[in-house]
Amino acid sequence: MTTLTTTTNRPGAPVRASRSRLSTWANGFGNEVHKGWLGLIGGWRGTLIQMAMFAIFYLLVVLFIGRGQLRTDLLITGLLGMVPLTFIHEQVNRAFWSYLGDIQSGTLEQTYLTPLPSWVLLLGRQVAAIIGALPYAAAVYVTGLITISAHGASMPSDVRVLVPLAAIVVGTSGLALILCGLTLVYKRVEVATQISIALWFIAGGTFVPLINMPTWAASLSRAIIPIAPGIEAMREILLKGRSLTGLQDGWGLGWVIIQPLLILLIGVLVFTRFERVAMRRGTLGRY
Amino acid sequence: MARTDVVGDIERSGRPAEVPAIEISGLTKVYGASETKAVDNVSLSVPPGTVFGFLGPNGAGKTTTIKILAGLLSATSGQVRLNGLDVARQRAAAMEQFGAVLEGSRNTYWTLSAMQNLVYFGRLQGMRTSEARSRAEELLRDLDLWDRRDEKVGGYSRGMQQKVAVAASLIADPPIVLLDEPTIGLDVEATRTVKDWIRTLSKDRGKTILLTTHQMDVVEELCDRVAVIRRGQVVTDLPTDQLLARSRQRDKYEIRIDGTGDGLVLPEGFTAVSGEETTLISGRLEDPQDLYPVVDRLREYGAVIEWMAQVQPDLEDVFLDLIREPAR
Repeated sequence: MTTLTTTTNRPGAPVRASRSRLSTWANGFGNEVHKGWLGLIGGWRGTLIQMAMFAIFYLLVVLFIGRGQLRTDLLITGLLGMVPLTFIHEQVNRAFWSYLGDIQSGTLEQTYLTPLPSWVLLLGRQVAAIIGALPYAAAVYVTGLITISAHGASMPSDVRVLVPLAAIVVGTSGLALILCGLTLVYKRVEVATQISIALWFIAGGTFVPLINMPTWAASLSRAIIPIAPGIEAMREILLKGRSLTGLQDGWGLGWVIIQPLLILLIGVLVFTRFERVAMRRGTLGRY
Repeated sequence: MARTDVVGDIERSGRPAEVPAIEISGLTKVYGASETKAVDNVSLSVPPGTVFGFLGPNGAGKTTTIKILAGLLSATSGQVRLNGLDVARQRAAAMEQFGAVLEGSRNTYWTLSAMQNLVYFGRLQGMRTSEARSRAEELLRDLDLWDRRDEKVGGYSRGMQQKVAVAASLIADPPIVLLDEPTIGLDVEATRTVKDWIRTLSKDRGKTILLTTHQMDVVEELCDRVAVIRRGQVVTDLPTDQLLARSRQRDKYEIRIDGTGDGLVLPEGFTAVSGEETTLISGRLEDPQDLYPVVDRLREYGAVIEWMAQVQPDLEDVFLDLIREPAR
């Protein structure tokens, strides 16, 4: 017969040591990040294949736009759009599927049986998604650098692009939160996720800079697309040599920072709201 | 003060004996705008150390009650307390009181190994990695999974996956364990193992176990007390032996007759199951003397009685009676 060991026969060896709330939350947050990491390295073959696919996709788009030639100017401007696009694609999909996948398998409810507040786990999942998206963006960037070097040119660099890059990370996290929240209640939101990614490709200034778009389309993109102001700012800093405070093409540095924060705020509100609805309707584990 | 300290105080101070491990008071759940009550004013009290069978047919409100109990669903009204802690208002502390294996779900990550799963769910319960590892090792050794601890759970047999799910629910050694259909899909040997665990956890370790299953033999064998829910309402809540004894006040009789029984009009309360050559007639009688009219009717029909017996009703008979009776 199976013998189960419990702590009741191990006096002085509590299963859960007493610790501060902050420490418990940090542990829970790290746990989610670690799970995401295990998932990434567990599927390393798929990761490598996808990294190659994104790199090839970038080169093909430049080739098509360049009418059969890998033009240096297109490689550089395209790279500044393709790296954030790859990032948003992977980050949003990873965060979204970490929820939808758990709902489909029935594991999500089990993860809610915890003394930890759900925002700690949510934050962990988001950071895990960011970490999981970085290798893909890096693969595209390295491919771009190598190709540009092979054409005898070099990719400009400036530490100030870290500001719009960070803004992109914040904005995409907000978008992921919106979609994750929606999927807790509406299980077919997967289609919307895929369409939104396609929309960012077309209208996010990825390959066609916003200043080359009709004013209304550019304004709409700057207003709602999480990567648009960041890409525009990066191009200004790296290709036009402008400072962060001297951005002119879009709506300035203020908007580069405010827009992702607003999307993040909306994401938090949407997720919180829909999580509550899911708990009222019982859709947390229903697919 | 840290949440773990709050719970620690409760555990250290010694819970008064009268505080139930699980207490459900006036629980009602109405989904959406519909007027249908999935759960209708349910009240239950489960003393510590009890194996409590919570039974009901599909759609009776069993899963809804369990999900509210687990804090996965909000109640329309009423209250659920685990070791005196309100699940809705003291969620964090209440969650530390129990572990669960939920029905119809994987419960664990199939892309992770058994050890990775247990460490993950341990940390999810607020344990440090080292604490979770140490506890996981104990559980995996106890459950004969230690040698395969680094294999992905997706590659395990159904029984082994269920073992990992049970281990995950026990990782933080909670005083209350909720097992929703823990033996579903398991073979005879795995079912026996799960039943052994339940018995060990309850009798040797003093844990409170809320068990739901459609396998009445499991309930009859393990449960100290049984509640049956039907159409959102609890129709009975009694110690298992009392429930069986009450039912045995009316004995069940089985009579096998020759032939298919075509045209036979059965006495009230009797049913017939026809085979190719024989028919089994069964029914309940409060007084054995009432058997005479039944036999007379069979004689008038011209049936040849092959065999007749008084049968002790088992829990399955009791359960079927309860879910067929009008709601009280």
